[in-house]
Formats: sequence, C-alpha cells, structure tokens
Amino acid sequence: MIKLTIDGINLEVEAGKTILEAASAAHIKIPTLCYEEGLTIYGGCRLCVVEVEGERLLQPACATEAKEGMVVKTNTPQVREVRKTLFELIVASHDISCQLNCLTCSKNGNCELREAAEIIGISEMRLLPIDKGYGEDWSSYSIVREPNKCITCGRCIRKCEETQGIGIFTMANRGPATIVTTYGDKGMGNVECTNCGQCILSCPTGALHEVYHYEKVWEVLNDPKKHVVVQTAPAVRVAISEPFGGDPGTIATGQLVSALRRLGFDRVFDTNFTADLTIVEEGTELIKRITKGGALPLLTSCSPGWIKFIEHFYPELLDNVSTCKSPQQMFGALAKSYYAEKNEISREDLVVVSVMPCTAKKFEAQRPEMAGDVDYVLTTRELAQMIKTAGIDMEKLEEGEYDQLMGTSSGAADIFGATGGVMEAALRTAYELITGQELGMLDFKEVRGLTGIKEAEIEIGDLKVKAAVAHGLGNVRHLMERIKAGEEFHFIELMACPGGCLGGGGQPSPTNQHVREKRMKGLYNIDSLKELRKSHQNPYITKVYEEYLGEPGSHKAHQLLHTEYTARGV
Amino acid sequence: MEYASFLERMHTVQDTYGYIPENEIDKIAKEFNIPRAKVYGTIRFYSMFYTEPTGKYIIRVCDSLSCHINQSKEIVQIIKDYLGVEHGQTTADKKFTLEIVECLGYCGEGPVMMVNEHVYTRVSGNMVLDILKNCV
Amino acid sequence: MQETLFLKHRESENIKDYPFSALKKALAMEPAGVVAEIKKSGLKGRGGAGFPTGVKWELALQEEADQKYVICNGDEGEPGTFKDRYLLEGTPFKVLEGIIIAAYACGAEQGYIYIRGEYDGPIRIFKKVLESAREKGIIGPNVMGSGFSFDLYLVKGAGAYVCGDETSLINSIEGKRGKSRIKPPYPITKGLFDRPTIVNNVETLAAAAEIINQGAERYLSLGTEDSRGTKLVCLSGDVCNPGVYEVEFGQVTLQEIIYDLGKGIKNNRPLKFVVPGGISTQVLTEQEIDIPYTYEDIAEAGSGLGSGAVVVVADGHDLVDLMLNVSRFFMDETCGTCFPCREGNRQVYHMLKKVNGNLNEEKSRIIADIGKTIHLAARCGLGQTSLNFINSVLKKFENELIVRGDS
Repeated sequence: MIKLTIDGINLEVEAGKTILEAASAAHIKIPTLCYEEGLTIYGGCRLCVVEVEGERLLQPACATEAKEGMVVKTNTPQVREVRKTLFELIVASHDISCQLNCLTCSKNGNCELREAAEIIGISEMRLLPIDKGYGEDWSSYSIVREPNKCITCGRCIRKCEETQGIGIFTMANRGPATIVTTYGDKGMGNVECTNCGQCILSCPTGALHEVYHYEKVWEVLNDPKKHVVVQTAPAVRVAISEPFGGDPGTIATGQLVSALRRLGFDRVFDTNFTADLTIVEEGTELIKRITKGGALPLLTSCSPGWIKFIEHFYPELLDNVSTCKSPQQMFGALAKSYYAEKNEISREDLVVVSVMPCTAKKFEAQRPEMAGDVDYVLTTRELAQMIKTAGIDMEKLEEGEYDQLMGTSSGAADIFGATGGVMEAALRTAYELITGQELGMLDFKEVRGLTGIKEAEIEIGDLKVKAAVAHGLGNVRHLMERIKAGEEFHFIELMACPGGCLGGGGQPSPTNQHVREKRMKGLYNIDSLKELRKSHQNPYITKVYEEYLGEPGSHKAHQLLHTEYTARGV
Repeated sequence: MEYASFLERMHTVQDTYGYIPENEIDKIAKEFNIPRAKVYGTIRFYSMFYTEPTGKYIIRVCDSLSCHINQSKEIVQIIKDYLGVEHGQTTADKKFTLEIVECLGYCGEGPVMMVNEHVYTRVSGNMVLDILKNCV
Repeated sequence: MQETLFLKHRESENIKDYPFSALKKALAMEPAGVVAEIKKSGLKGRGGAGFPTGVKWELALQEEADQKYVICNGDEGEPGTFKDRYLLEGTPFKVLEGIIIAAYACGAEQGYIYIRGEYDGPIRIFKKVLESAREKGIIGPNVMGSGFSFDLYLVKGAGAYVCGDETSLINSIEGKRGKSRIKPPYPITKGLFDRPTIVNNVETLAAAAEIINQGAERYLSLGTEDSRGTKLVCLSGDVCNPGVYEVEFGQVTLQEIIYDLGKGIKNNRPLKFVVPGGISTQVLTEQEIDIPYTYEDIAEAGSGLGSGAVVVVADGHDLVDLMLNVSRFFMDETCGTCFPCREGNRQVYHMLKKVNGNLNEEKSRIIADIGKTIHLAARCGLGQTSLNFINSVLKKFENELIVRGDS
C-alpha cells in the first residue's frame, strides 16, 4: 500500500494506482475527457492535470502513478486557471459555435464536455471558434460520424481496437489537422466496421451517433393508412428507465409497453417471442448437426455485429454459423407473413419497427437477404427520445401487457439480452428435446456473468456438450483463434458487445461495467420470476408451428426463419 | 522487431510508385497482423509519405525562420506563380508537387529548396526558375 | 576571437584512414569506466534538453534486460539548427565511434541511427559508413576483436519534426505514428521495444567519442563549471557569416558569436533580437546578449541554449509575420496528441493571422495564458516550449506591437 496526500486528505491506495484513481477513492472528482475505464491511458486531453509537490510542471492524474509520500493538489489557482484555458481551447475547436448546436446534438443531455464545463466552472469564452469544415460520414447504415464535433480524444479508436479487437479507426495527420478517420478515409460503411456502436458509447461528444430512424417512425405513426407494429428486444426493458432518471437494471417492461402504445403503435409485440422461436430452430439445428453431422461447433447468429465480424475476419468459418435469422429478423419475417395473413393486412401497409439495444440491427435490417422484413430500427436511446418528445411521463406509466400472438415469451428469451443467455436458453431446450426428460435445475451459472470467455461442459444424456460463450469482439476473436487452432466445441454463443445486448451500442449512456452488471441482474430477475422459463414450452410458439410453420426446421421455417451469409474479408 | 523496418519499406514504396498505394498498406497490415487503418494512419503522420500520387518532382521549399528572414517567402511566391499550384498540390501534368516545408537544415545557406533529393542553397528567383525549367 | 576546435575537423572519407582510437581506448576499459569518464567530463546532452550524458549512461548500465538499445538522434529539425548535419557529413566516423562507445558503456548490443528523411546527403554517407564499418568489423559480432557485439541500423525519417523528441523517435522507429509517449516510464527503463534505451543526440555522441579520445580532463579544462567543453553553434539569419562554429563555453559572449565569428549583421542593420537556442527558446534583445555563451548565463537571461541554433534577426522585419512563421511551425509540427499543444498552437496561429496590425492587450493576454497552459500541461518538451518565442517577442516588443485603447 502507498500513502499519499491529496488536497490535504491522507490516503492509502494499492501500489500501481494512478492519482486519478486515488483521488476518486477520496471522493475528489477530477475532470477528464480522454480517459475511459477499461481502455489504455492516453494522457492527451490534460484536463486532469494536478500539482504534485516537487514537480515543476503539472502532471496528468490519469497517467501518473501514486507514489509513497506524494503530495498532490487538485484544486489550486494554477490548476484551475490551466483547466479553464484548456477547456476554452477544446471548445473553440469543437463544433459549438452557436448554442443551437448543443440543442440539436445527439449528446445533448449527457455530453461529457458539458460535465467537464460544470466541474471546471466556465464563466467566459474568449476564443473564437475555429471551423474545421470536415464533411460528415454517412456511409454506414448504422453509425454517423460528425468529425467537426470530434475532439480527437481517441476513445473510439481505443474502444474499437482494444475492447473490440478490430481497429477500424485511426488518427491521421498531425498537428491541428489530426483527425480520427477510417482506412483510406473510406467511411465506416466501407470498411470492416461491425456496426456494434461501442464507439458511440465511448464518444464524449456527439461526434458519433446512430443513423436515426425515429423521424421515419414518427411519419408512419402519423399515417393512418399504415398499420405499425413494434417489437422490443430483451435488453431494452432493463435500460429504458435510465434516460428518465431510473436506475440501471430497473425492470420496466410494462411501462415500455404502455409508452409504445401511447406513441401510437398499432400492436406492441415482443422480440422475446422470436427469441423463443430462435431457440427452438437453433436447438433443432444443433441437435441435427450433432447427431446427423454438420459443421461444429455451431456458432450462434443473433448478434449482427458478430455476424459482420465473422464475415470480415473468419469467412472460412461461416459454415459453422447457425443459419437461423436473429430474433429481430425472425420477427420481421413472421410479422410480414403469418401476422399479416392472419389479420389480412397487405405487406405495403404493414410497417415493422423494432426497438433494439443495438446499432448493428439497423444494418441487419437492410441486408439484401432479408430487406423489407423490418422497416425501421430504433435504438433504446432513440425510443427514449421519442417518449420524451411525446411528453410521456415514463416513470409514472401504468404497466401494459404485450399484444397477443407475438407477445408471450419465456424467461429463457429475456436472458437473451445478457451474455450467456442464449446458451442457457438453448441448453434448457436442448436438454429436454434430446433426453425427453424434464430439466430440474434451470440455471446454468457457469455461462453467466461478465467474464470475457466462459466455458462449460454439460451432460445431456450420453452427450457431453462442450459449450463456450464470448462477448465483446476482442474476446470473440480470442475464441475464434482457439477454434482455428483446433480446439473442439459443440456450441458457442457469441455477442459483439461487452456484456451482450444489455451493453449494446444502442443503449443509453453511460454504459459501463457497473451499469452492465445492474442491467444483467435485471434480466436474470425477470427470468427467475417467470412461470414459463423454457422456450419450447411457450404456447404461442407451439401455435405458430401448428398454424403456420409446420415443425421446427421445416421447409417453410427455412424459407422464413433462416438465412445465409456473405464472405467479406478485409 | 522486424516492424522497425516499416519506415524503410514505406520509403521504398513511396520511391517506387510516387505514393503508397492501398495494396501495399493491405500487405503490410496482413504481414504484421495489425489493422490496416493503423498502417494508413501511421503513413499519414509523415509528410514524406503520400497516399495520393505525386508529381515526378517533389519541390520542397523551406519557409522556416532563418530562410524566412532571407526572403524565402518571395521564392515561394515565384514557384507558386510558375507552377500554378499551391502548397501540397500537384501540377495538372503530374510533373511537380509543391511543398512549403519547415526547416531543411541548411539555415546558414538559405533560402533553400529541394528537388526530390537534391538540395539547392542560396537560391534566387532566377535560379529557381532555371532549376524548374531544367526538370524534364 | 577564435573557435575552439574540439569536435570540428574534417575526416577522410576512407574508413582505413580513421584510427578509431577512442573506440579502442573504450573497449580496453570496463563499461563502468567509460561511464565514469563521461560522467566526469560533465558532458550534457546537446539535443536541447541538456541532460547529463554520464548520468543517462549510468542509469542505462544499471538496467538489467535481455536487450538494450542505443539510439543516435539525427532527426535534427528545429529551425536554425544544422550542426548534426555538419557532423554527419563531415565526421561520420566520429559519430559512429560515439554510438559504439555509448552502446559498449551501457551494454546495448543493438543500435539505431535515425536521420531525418530530408537529409539525403548524410543518409547516403552514413549508409556507406555502416557498410564499411561492418566490413572492417567495427560493428558486428565482435567489435574490433573485443568480443563485444554490436550492430547498428540506419532509419530514415519521413518528415516529422516531433520525432526529434526521444519518445516520439522511439515510436517512429517502431513503425508507429511519431507521437510522444507518457513519461514515466522513461526510455532508460522502457524504451524501444519496451527495453532500456538511451537516446543521444549526434553532437553528444561525437563529443563523447572525443572525450574518451582526449580524456575527460581535457574536456573539464574547457568551459565553465556548469557548461563543460565546447558547443557547436549554428549561426544563421541576418548575419554576414553564417555557419557552424565551435566555441568554448564561457570564453565568448553571444554578442561576440554574432559580431566576431558571424562578422556582424548584414548591411550593418541594427539588431532586433537573437534567438539563442532555436525557436523553442525565448528571444533576447540587443541589451541582453552581452553574456557569456553558457547554459547558465543564457538561462539567467531568461532563455535557453537549446540546440545551439543562434538565429539573428535584424531590425526591419514585420514582427507579427515572424511570430506567425514560428507559430505555423509549431502548429503544423505538433504531434496532435495532447490538447493544449495542438489546440493552443492552432488558436495562437489563427489569432495572429487575424491581427492585421491590431494586436491588443486582451489578445496578447490570451496568448500569454495559452502559453502558460501549454507550458504547464503539455505532454512533451516540444509542446511545453512551443510558445516561448512568441510570448517573449510579445513581451519584449509590447510597445511596438500592442495597439492601446479600444480596438
């Protein structure tokens, strides 16, 4: 342990801790911009500079290790003055020449520049803003970059490279011409971006945001000719409260349904329903591959960020990916066929909107193999914005119920939103389908939690199923390398985002480890409180097979619920 | 360790093609198993590497302090007028790329210009025009 | 008024004619002995920062690692500086000798010499030097039969001033963007490829070789207590006789360098100011230059000796134009990593650009504030010193520059 003094407070911290971490332990908040927990230290913004006794110059708290006997001062006239000037400089190069830019900004409300300004106490802006005059990047179906708002803190670069193991971003040039860009300035839509949107969560400003669909959704909601149905992904219900001041992990399924109904959706359905369907189809596929032969390990296909990842980086393993569409796309396909036919709604008049914790879902909905099944994809953030715009008092809403036909789901579907959830849901069903016996203990704890790669061996009858779960593409890449090296597994769940969908790129800010834990807890709580906890026992799943699809893996199921992939390479 | 040869390799590519084409970036990215964006960004850090084709002759004129007070500004203007391009641009016939650069290390002999690797010191307006005319 | 020739001489181009006497002497000593000799000499780094070379080598020698590196920093780029080119072209064998001695003293078996890409001549020369040295066994598995193994590679820079910063230089050799690293760890403990690394300037290494050759005593007899030995001064600007001059510390004044060695100002114009150590140092006016040329005297005058670049500026230049020129340099050459340096230099450039003869007190104060912020908060030496020139010009010529009243 190291003893030091910060602002007169005597502290003891573990060796190796930085001044910033030590200060935080002493409940001293030091402003930062380029710092993000879990990423390497950049030491660029210098907002966190502090006085360290014996040092001639100010030291960055984020990059300076606490040393025995160190005397640190975080709030001296010199520190305050330097931070103010620094902040003025940052803002002068950031695109807020007119106050309106803040109001129209995607980060309005949780901009970290604003937070920093609040801590520093900005009273005057003496510098003229410098217009950088960069164009915007609209090349992606999922994500927009507005480089004029970029402060080149490099968090998106580090997130993409370090957490996600991809690295589509780079700094280019030097001096004030330094920019964050993609390979060959091609734009995010033209490189190996997986659309995961983790960069959006990392961006302290509004330089990165999703391609908004909410304007279009307002349009169709206001069009009396359109019959608009909405589906909600599992992870949305434990995060939607956050923009309204709720705690992360608050279960708000009922309020979510009510809010959507108030917004004017004609039917409010649940993606969970097709999550259950996915389990039945994918479980069938798994059993078939194990018993009748086929590419193993079977790799899950729910996460569109992961799918694009494998298409770019491991196209040679595409045969291993389950041919099942993701729950979002299964829903779209069924809505536009089963539901439309049953209710005699023409395809042109039926609009399918989904609410997803995910930015990659926007790309997925546009994939030519299944385009037109889902018309618009809203992120959790966009939906929160719509609810606010409509003046709906989210927290005080009565709890609504999903509409029927595609609104009932098992607890196994809820946990799809957490890393390991798809695996657990699949194991519950596979066990019973293979053995024909009832599974006693439903919780597969070894695949739960936020460990990067989780492995388990599960006995299903005579079969020992070797399973693995990876979340966050950096971890996914490690696991893929192991598979390539010849390690044998039967079934692997892969999710692009850390924590799974609950930590998706479309979720509210902040999304950090603490928030992920709480959302995860929320999802497992929903599951444990449900009667129905196994996908194949969902009566409406039975119904859809009886009425429409025939049996799992049938020709019709294949036509509607399965898909193919594209080898993209890099 | 081998990656230390990055600059050298890029110089070779630059000298061969007059710029660094994408396939060379892809190649090095694959070889060292690093994101191609990173290789691209590294190249773009250095003034002597180009990601777009340059002219046959890269004209570098120093305009740092010592040359500046020795009238490099006028030399720069004469070259700009003659070539009809601004800093960083290449002439339409792809013959010249003009770079107004910082110190070339011939401060005692300014103004200074380089034509590709050749250094000309104490240049005058007439001299630079002669030099440029002799570039064929 | 004479030069003191310690380093300055012309070598024959043929390696056979170069005795490598310093290297022979060094190889006959223990590494710790070589370090002690350099430490005793009081040699300071000649790249600009002035860190005691012997201390650096000693720290490196104490480091334990499977590999250590020595890097010769030939990325000379500070406007007004051309002494390293002079040495690389005129005395490349001495530079080579210095590098090998440093490597031997610190226990480094591999080294790099990084020469800026624009120095085509020195690069060609050094390539040949390396070839012939390898052939003659001056570098390689058994340096001059001593059993010490050392190999040296040449890296050609690619046009980025900031790579002269030692940590940026290391990044650049590693094939990365040449941005500075966070210190600590210092290169001495974790440098190139995360191994202990010493980075020394060309002139420092050449001087080290000559110190071993002539003995620390000889070096100690030159200069002052805080500024031992000699220094190569690069004289340029409005001066009749520009060039590289070797002066003994404390034996000449800055004024004498300009008026005696440099033969005074061109066309006998009055002097406006002198930049005593490259454009990252504060300018000195005519009244301030009658001081001995030493680290300490120039520091006392409120500036620095820096890299040894003395730029003479006569009266008659537009001061705002000169500030803009220097500002543009720092703006374009910052690595772009740390915000104060990147944004501060950009902002100052834009402010100066818009001055139009209307520099008021408020603008001047803002520039001073930015200067203070950059100095205190920037990440590397380039940034910290980037506004020294501008703020000193603003301060010393306030009366001419500032338009009083409301503007």
